[in-house]
Amino acid sequence: MTRPLVEVEGLARRFDVSRPWLARLLAREPRRFLHAVAGVDFAIPRGTTMALVGESGCGKSTVARMLVGLLRPSAGRIVFDGTPLDPDAGRKALAPIRRRMQMIFQDPYASLDPRWRVEAIVAEPLDAFGLVRDRAERRERVAELLRAVGLSPADGRKYPHEFSGGQRQRISIARALASRPDFLVCDEPTSALDVSVQAQILNLMKELQEQLGLTYLLISHNLAVVSVMADQVGVMYLGRIVELAPADELFARPRHPYTRLLLDTVPDLEMRRRERAPVAGEVPSPIDPPPGCAFHPRCPFAERRCRAERPALLPAGPARVACHAVEEGRLPA
Amino acid sequence: MTAALRRFFDHDLWWSFTRSPLTVAAALVTLLFLVAALAAPWITPHDPFDPARVDLLDAFTPPVWTERGDPRFLLGTDDQGRDILSTIVWGSRISLLVGFAAVLLSATLGVALGVSAGYVGGVYESVVMRLADVQLTIPGILVALTINGVARTLVPRELQEAAAIWVLVLAIGISDWPKYARLARGTTLVEKNKEYIAAARVMGLHPLRIMVSHLLPNVIGPVLVIGTIGLALAIISEATLSFLGVGVPPTTPSLGTLIRIGNDFLFSGEWWITLFPSLALVLLVLAVNLLGDWLRDAFNPKLR
Repeated sequence: MTRPLVEVEGLARRFDVSRPWLARLLAREPRRFLHAVAGVDFAIPRGTTMALVGESGCGKSTVARMLVGLLRPSAGRIVFDGTPLDPDAGRKALAPIRRRMQMIFQDPYASLDPRWRVEAIVAEPLDAFGLVRDRAERRERVAELLRAVGLSPADGRKYPHEFSGGQRQRISIARALASRPDFLVCDEPTSALDVSVQAQILNLMKELQEQLGLTYLLISHNLAVVSVMADQVGVMYLGRIVELAPADELFARPRHPYTRLLLDTVPDLEMRRRERAPVAGEVPSPIDPPPGCAFHPRCPFAERRCRAERPALLPAGPARVACHAVEEGRLPA
Repeated sequence: MTAALRRFFDHDLWWSFTRSPLTVAAALVTLLFLVAALAAPWITPHDPFDPARVDLLDAFTPPVWTERGDPRFLLGTDDQGRDILSTIVWGSRISLLVGFAAVLLSATLGVALGVSAGYVGGVYESVVMRLADVQLTIPGILVALTINGVARTLVPRELQEAAAIWVLVLAIGISDWPKYARLARGTTLVEKNKEYIAAARVMGLHPLRIMVSHLLPNVIGPVLVIGTIGLALAIISEATLSFLGVGVPPTTPSLGTLIRIGNDFLFSGEWWITLFPSLALVLLVLAVNLLGDWLRDAFNPKLR
């Protein structure tokens, strides 16, 4: 079996949310940390799509930002194509790996510099990594990229504000593809778009994946998007993966109570599952997470063990699940 | 070219400009001053700085519409027989030069420090911004006076007159940077969290390159607006310093110097020597200020 393109081991990130030093001293309070990501492991095989889903604040975007080097991990490591990423390595040393991983952002209105022409935006990675020799080659490559995402090369002369949200996201994808990356991190790539445009962008992403053999990490809270795109799904809750499963398995047989909750909240037009297990409550604070299983305050199946001991991510069929109830087999199938 | 022109005249900004007669008037006055200042050597009726052409016998001629007026001197002459109108035109030239140069200096300094502070953050940001805060607690004119004094002692005596203008620019420029630094930092803090900056960082661009090619163009708009208002303030600062006698020397007077010279004769009845340069200064500053106000409103999306 070939090695996965991206491997993540024990990845964690905490943020210092303490008050300023003097205020802390006067109030005699300790430093406070927000554990946005508290140890996450996964691997993405080449040419596949892994999706991370979860409510806002579960740490899925933080994982994405650590992967592309926007945030430095507090612990754990990222291995890209067999090479561990060293966040302390210099800019020059990281450039060959950075060229191979790019990112598509959520907000197509903020992800393109409003003062730059589209051709300059798309060519930015070409210039950053020195991938073109002269202006003619640069122009040609930009035209090729714009065509690849369904825009006209003449659009390169325009500014971002002359485009719609969907077109802007196409520009964003063209920019991400410019350096011929292997791995794209897509942080909610369609959640800012109209529903009618979402499908076009997702189709474009799938086409590009087939043509170019891309590997995707898709961050989303939209399960419909995930079911279309993903090969593998990780469900995150409060900084941890609680269920990691092949996509079809996850949607057919969700195991973790939280996954079931998420799937139950998807509007069901055919009303097949009318009996919904109402799960009350909100996501607890990641600054002061509950002991044991972080989900136990909201879980209908919580027992004493769930309140005391944190469940490990254990194999359950083709999936891996972090739940005592699943491990003990006391959940209805 | 015609397309660019058409875009310009179709723009919101042009529309809001033509809708405000006061702004149009202010723009015309500013333009008049600029043209006059640039063309001073060719349009002034007299050369007030050529000792051979200035006649002491013409001294203290009142404006032309008064009893003893002389048709050669529309607004009268000063104590050395220099034509007031000509000295005003030459004086505006120096006032505008000092104003523009000082704004350029303080805006460059402020924007460079503000953008880098906002983008880099941490201890560097704290140091820069506290420095700005400290300087803001001291009256700007006091800072300018101090810098002016220090710079003067450093300049050799024989160069002092020639360097006077640049010492002024330095003094006013340095006394005014915190305003630009605060604005630039504030705008940078907003812009740096936008995803286009994240995209540039994912590419591993050097922070300096991100600041220059991405942040600067997006920060410069509000800075231009403040800069226009800053120009009026810089002209006033220059006039103040010159009025206090530490500005440009009387041999190449600015508006402030002219007002100071005239001030000496105000109580002996020669009111025109100080009145007309003062009016010119008020008009210029008012016009530039109105333009700046309009720019600020026009660029403020909340007021549209």
